[in-house]
Amino acid sequence: MVKDTSLFGIFRKENDQPHQLGPMQRLDVPMRHYTDADVVDVVVVGVGSAGGVLVQRLAKAGWRVVGLEAGPFWDTERDWVSDEAGSHNLYWNDLRITGGKDPLALGANNSGKGVGGGSVHWAGFTPRFHPSDFRVYREDGIGADWPISYEDVKPYYELLEREIPVAGPAYYPWGDPHGYIYGPHPLGQVGAVLVNGCTTLGIRSVAGGPVAILSGSHGDRPHCIYRGFCIQGCKVGAKQSTLISHVPDAVAHGAEIRANAMAARINLGNDGRVTGVTYFDHAGQERCQRAKLVIISGYAIETPRLLLNSATTGYPQGLANSSGTVGRYLMAQAGNVILGRFDEPVRMYKAPPAHALTEEFYETDRRRDFARGFSIQTVGPLPIAFAKQMMVAKGAWGWGLREVMMDYNHWSALGLLGEILPWADNRVTLATETDQFGLPVAHAHFDLHDNDHKLIEFGKNTVMEVMRAAGAQEIVQEPRYAHLIGGARMGNDPATSVVDGWGRTHDIPNLFICDGSIFPTQGAANPGLTIQALAARTADYLITLGAEAAAFRPGHTVMPPLRTELSPAQTTGRGVPRLTSRTPNVHIGLGGLAPGGKA
Amino acid sequence: MNKRKHRHADLDAELSSPDLDCQPIDPQTGQPLPLRAQVGYYPGYQTLRQQRFWDAATRDVVMRRMHEVPPIRFFTLAEARQLAAVAARIIPQDDRELAYRIPIVPWIDERLHSGRIDGYRYEGMPADGEAHRLGLQAINDIARALHDKDFIDLTPPPQEGILRTLHDDNPPAGHAIWARMPVQRYWMLLVQDCIEVYYAHPFAWDEIGYGGPAYPRGYMRLQHGQPEPWEKDEVRYSWRAPKWSVSQEYTPLGGGHDTITPGQEGTH
Repeated sequence: MVKDTSLFGIFRKENDQPHQLGPMQRLDVPMRHYTDADVVDVVVVGVGSAGGVLVQRLAKAGWRVVGLEAGPFWDTERDWVSDEAGSHNLYWNDLRITGGKDPLALGANNSGKGVGGGSVHWAGFTPRFHPSDFRVYREDGIGADWPISYEDVKPYYELLEREIPVAGPAYYPWGDPHGYIYGPHPLGQVGAVLVNGCTTLGIRSVAGGPVAILSGSHGDRPHCIYRGFCIQGCKVGAKQSTLISHVPDAVAHGAEIRANAMAARINLGNDGRVTGVTYFDHAGQERCQRAKLVIISGYAIETPRLLLNSATTGYPQGLANSSGTVGRYLMAQAGNVILGRFDEPVRMYKAPPAHALTEEFYETDRRRDFARGFSIQTVGPLPIAFAKQMMVAKGAWGWGLREVMMDYNHWSALGLLGEILPWADNRVTLATETDQFGLPVAHAHFDLHDNDHKLIEFGKNTVMEVMRAAGAQEIVQEPRYAHLIGGARMGNDPATSVVDGWGRTHDIPNLFICDGSIFPTQGAANPGLTIQALAARTADYLITLGAEAAAFRPGHTVMPPLRTELSPAQTTGRGVPRLTSRTPNVHIGLGGLAPGGKA
Repeated sequence: MNKRKHRHADLDAELSSPDLDCQPIDPQTGQPLPLRAQVGYYPGYQTLRQQRFWDAATRDVVMRRMHEVPPIRFFTLAEARQLAAVAARIIPQDDRELAYRIPIVPWIDERLHSGRIDGYRYEGMPADGEAHRLGLQAINDIARALHDKDFIDLTPPPQEGILRTLHDDNPPAGHAIWARMPVQRYWMLLVQDCIEVYYAHPFAWDEIGYGGPAYPRGYMRLQHGQPEPWEKDEVRYSWRAPKWSVSQEYTPLGGGHDTITPGQEGTH
């Protein structure tokens, strides 16, 4: 938005220790630091899956960017361990209250804290949403429609699949069929169970991806070593997190990543526009970062919580919440784990937990008695997670627990990933309890509805059939949930949604939301890729508007070009297979222009 | 930090009577199996032998877990002793030689002392530390109602019977406490806390044939459950829980009269 002036923001190295992001990549450039007196172009609250991409794009385009992150700026060699129990600090472990008839487990199950956010501990499955996901209400009369279509997001799927980059099969038959340009991973035994079971039943499956895990080395990131610790944080640097794929480029282009900075509230000026963010710094001091534009990227619990905690005169029920929709339509996917015991050993701790799947049951099937569908995916619980699953799935404790755990190497696990629909009464509100900063914590209320129950029952039984067809002798299952979505949904109608299709809040022109909370529905695909793709799309929109980004002009529509020149080095352009679609609704075939035009 | 003695004398009292009645039996002969330094089906497999192939940060975390067992600071000594007796039935270690038993209570105590939580609390549940304290009181209430003794003064068979009532979501006493805290939420908290300690320990990894830390070396044999060159093939032996035990029956959590409580661990 504003060109550099040399006196604005000081470049400073934190200390003389190398900051490792994986064994090969070092963050060795000085980071820019702004002061409380500076009015930066944008503050991004939460440097996770969306925030990491946003700060990188906007900094590279010359914006003065501060990313506030509640957790630490990880040095992966120093801070991360190849140990299940030792990885507890990767998650959002601060208090939240969970309730309702079917309360969600939070923490390790779905929330990250620290630069990279949830992408630090995602398993890394990166399927795209299907075209039908964007028009659920139109097709099924239930759920909600998105204000944007698959075609709007497709160019950004293709772009992020290169930037991450995603490894996967050459042909992926579901949704909008496509292929992956980086080769698939070798099959582990859990993948073999999924592929064998599906093949026996005549169900199509794919193996080796799509996952955000390198099958070949890429720049200064090594390829996968198949040790199975994806959700404990990948010390190898093979699995993508925005910490290692985008944040280094953001810092190199002058973004400040302010870690251990917990946002307390968004400040509203007299003119109805936000003026900055009040936060608690690493020392617990309350400070304020002023900014021309604020983007909240705190995910499905913390984004609504921050808006609700920012209630003020004019917005008594929460900032940007004139619709009363903030916090509502919270979703999680059905994530039942189906466990099968095999005579032959499996050793499911090896290979990435995420590496084979089927989306054969993804879409609405009129022969079934429920709308929408589910995926079946590999999972690979390590011993502690497996023991907890056996307590629930098999009723194991005492000698029974010891016995089934001694058979750990004989068990294989497959995960259901089922679409639970958005319901207004599933919501985030403020609890009476407060956190270490005195801020009210979030309360998450969650009930399953009729369609959800039917879908889970059918999906669970289907996964059990696959497990049986693969040759398991004993099959048990644990109900649970995976991922979080919703809480600040996008839509065309300001009366029933919080943001528009670009993430701009309907109420406040210079306040944006960009993360999984803005999804109106969630499909049966893991949300990580779509979160990152939408972040790149919102960044292109803001950069195209430039100085006008913080303004609002009714009826003014902008269709930004796809800015491949903002990709991190070596992820587009020469030597990287070209994109098939460059701008929304424009398809350029293999004979078309190279990305960036000059490559 | 000083290297502490591997075990706690105070808590050992609860675990140190090698009573033959508590050991698993050989189903063929009906005789108790001898105590083993290494239980499980992977004799001679020791993850700690691989530690020079681990990265420094991981080695540091695992070796501190092995050798720096923390002191009891959250619980009173009486509470810690009772919890040790409870943990000894939730994850019995009567087949292990004393020197190879995994200390559980000190690490639960350490978690509660440092205020570390899993990032959420169920509506209607007290904070984790209070839940543990209330749970121990309720367990004693049941022990007194059924056997006229404190839990710690009972032998393992009635102790198991008491815990089984929690697993079944049908405790016969302690109702004033259960009115403040759902039985099943407490039972899951208790069992999960024990699991998190036991299966984080290298002795437990050796028992189940799990590879343990694997960076930077990684794995090369991914299919058919093949062991790496440094791993061992399985050598199974038959065993059954002691005859009086009810904890090897795999009855549904919550007694099977309700829908299953969802799991709480992250997998995907």
